[in-house]
Amino acid sequence: VAVEDQPDVSAVLSAYNQQGDPTLYEEYYSGLKHFIECSLDCHRAELSQLFYPLFVHMYLELVYNQHESEAKSFFERFHGDQECYYQDDLRVLSSLTKKEHMKGNETMLDFRTSKFVLRISRDSYQLLKRHLQEKQNNQIWNIVQEHLYIDIFDGMPRSKQQIDAMVGSLAGEAKREANKAKVFFGLLKEPEFDVPLDDEDEEGENEEGKPKKKKPKKDSVGSKSKKQDPNAPPQNRIPLPELKDSDKLDKVMNMKEAARRVRLGPECLPSICFYTFLNAYQGLTAVDITDDSSMIVGGFADSTVRVWSVTPKKLRSVKTAADLSLIDKESDDVLERIMDEKTASELKILYGHSGPVYGTSFSPDRNYLLSCSEDGTVRLWSLQTFTCLVGYKGHNYPVWDTQFSPYGYYFVSGGHDRVARLWATDHYQPLRIFAGHLADVTCTRFHPNSNYIATGSADRTIRLWDVLNGNCVRIFTGHKGPIHSLAFSPNGRFLATGATDGRVLLWDIGHGLMVGELKGHTDTIYALRFSRDGEILASGSMDNTVRLWDAVKAFEDLETDDFTTATGHINLPENSQDLLLGTYMTKSTPVVHLHFTRRNLLLAAGAYSSQ
Amino acid sequence: YVTTILEDAKIYSSHAKKSNVDADDVRLAIQCRTDQSFTSPPPRDFLLDIARQKNQTPLPLIKPYSGPRLPPDRYCLTAPNYRLKSLQKKVSSSAGRITVPRLSVGAVSSRPSTPTLGTPSAQTVSVSAKVGTPVSLGGQRFTVQIPSSQAAVKTATPTTPTVQNVLINPSLIGPKNILITTNMVSSQSTASEPNPLKRKHEEDDDYDNL
Repeated sequence: VAVEDQPDVSAVLSAYNQQGDPTLYEEYYSGLKHFIECSLDCHRAELSQLFYPLFVHMYLELVYNQHESEAKSFFERFHGDQECYYQDDLRVLSSLTKKEHMKGNETMLDFRTSKFVLRISRDSYQLLKRHLQEKQNNQIWNIVQEHLYIDIFDGMPRSKQQIDAMVGSLAGEAKREANKAKVFFGLLKEPEFDVPLDDEDEEGENEEGKPKKKKPKKDSVGSKSKKQDPNAPPQNRIPLPELKDSDKLDKVMNMKEAARRVRLGPECLPSICFYTFLNAYQGLTAVDITDDSSMIVGGFADSTVRVWSVTPKKLRSVKTAADLSLIDKESDDVLERIMDEKTASELKILYGHSGPVYGTSFSPDRNYLLSCSEDGTVRLWSLQTFTCLVGYKGHNYPVWDTQFSPYGYYFVSGGHDRVARLWATDHYQPLRIFAGHLADVTCTRFHPNSNYIATGSADRTIRLWDVLNGNCVRIFTGHKGPIHSLAFSPNGRFLATGATDGRVLLWDIGHGLMVGELKGHTDTIYALRFSRDGEILASGSMDNTVRLWDAVKAFEDLETDDFTTATGHINLPENSQDLLLGTYMTKSTPVVHLHFTRRNLLLAAGAYSSQ
Repeated sequence: YVTTILEDAKIYSSHAKKSNVDADDVRLAIQCRTDQSFTSPPPRDFLLDIARQKNQTPLPLIKPYSGPRLPPDRYCLTAPNYRLKSLQKKVSSSAGRITVPRLSVGAVSSRPSTPTLGTPSAQTVSVSAKVGTPVSLGGQRFTVQIPSSQAAVKTATPTTPTVQNVLINPSLIGPKNILITTNMVSSQSTASEPNPLKRKHEEDDDYDNL
């Protein structure tokens, strides 16, 4: 097996050699199984965590040393004992019967070289250690020492239910230190604006609260407190683009709309407007809607990107250079005049990719559109000329998701090569590479303060990365299937994630703990979105439903004291039914995208599938 | 595939000056081929290494007031010396099939049912409105329903190749963008052969263009 230069990696791999008689592996395993089953109830759940990693490592060892028949019979005998949520992995494993099969499979190689993390209480650990060291041929102890990392905590052993909530990822759970770094989850301060009383007033901008002479009405939506939120990152922690005039106009519009926003809650559910893509023939792979809900883009399996205007205002492209020189640049409506009326249409098709388009994202200023595709490139399109501007090549493998930062300029992409990359529109190479996942990165999202990036992966973990230095600051395990949707709450404190197991999990970013589980969907959840003020969480799934959950209730009364953080003892209440505010079925359209307009109307999109 | 592998194996065995092709040669040939055609993503330690390198450089400061922020021109696609031909008004009247897929959002359109190519006959079967020879379509979009005509013509084949008339049902013309399949078929075959091969090809075409 070709091993790269790291010395500790090669040491680990070379230790994957003959460790005892292959025919006795079954006996070792069944001996351990017997011991665990006879142990005390309170310890049994924790020690049962050992079964799966041991099983896999022993099997891989047999395969690596080319004991095919022993490997096969070992697999046959014990694969049924494993937990149900590992079934997919076991299926992959059953196809690995020869040493050569292991070479090409990066995920399996990563599994072998990284340590599977188990969190066990001290008492259970002592029990296990004593038992394994008693036996003469302690092969299992060797394996435990080399391939498993046992994170010991002092306290009560966890119950099966608690353990089941947290396990499931390819690398076990997260070590305590992995979730200890300080995360600035607060929001950045918005510059203060004065909302004009009516349109004819000149808008006065007040940055840093210095009042102008006119004293127009101050807006009440922005924060007026001068003291820094201790959980918010410093304003200049990462360089962000300055606000242009058009951005300021946008913000004023935003605030005006926000003033007219519907306050949602269990008594006042949002109306849902569903955009169905007809005649897409299962080709619709990605959807995005602009923040002001004026345009909708669809990425398709035929490698086209199609942009529609949702409002009556049609899409126009800018005039050619010859025509532009003819217009009067000083006129008031110059922004209208540069648009070419002849090109007005509701739909624009963008050609350029050479593979299905898996992710699309509008820039916050609506000038640019990103799309990422199976051909390994991320393309930047201009929405003023409707042409492709740049192709960012970095991933050489399918790119599964991309997103613009909430402030524009930066964007993140994640793909099959198991890394997520941070780019800026004016650099042809990525600025940051976030490596650490064991399998494809399937979903990437920016935190509202643009300082952190959450990535969900096919290895069933979610990692939170710091944009400033590329470090992984949080690892969240608990999903039992690849993650396909992520949503940050508007206040930046919480993260909601959805995966193929049909559950939505809620995480407290500051403490690094799971705080809620929403059961109800029966199929993969591809869309998650919080309402504008964070009161409602909407989830859309392949089972053709949109469900609304009460976010306020889910996040109140959190037990996050030091004990919970230290031991990871979480007690999730079984309140999915209470939190569910509504289930809305579509006829047979899986929901691919959700978007709350600025007034809290919920827009949903999906492609009609006739099955 | 097998011939390629065996040829490669022959080359390797002759290079090693063996008289027969060995199992080892075949194994080597297979390995070289798969290394060429299938690559796997870089290994984890390599990724961690380059990530560490990349992440050490601080984030670059952003110059204010710099217009559209794009990489240097040679990395951009802003100067293509080609242009894509638009698909409109391109319907040719010669024998050939054109498939122009379109998607409509919000509008209800019906997909035409897979036409069964009936017997080529000189008669035209009228639906609701007869439209004269639709051979040249001037840039409009239509739904086409070719009704199945299953009258089996037992007797002699028509002497000249006939063009199956395409009938347009105006009641099905929706707002703008509807899938069209214009199908000019000229065939001389007997009635019993409804040309299943051509039909399959047309469906492939649809699939490709979607």
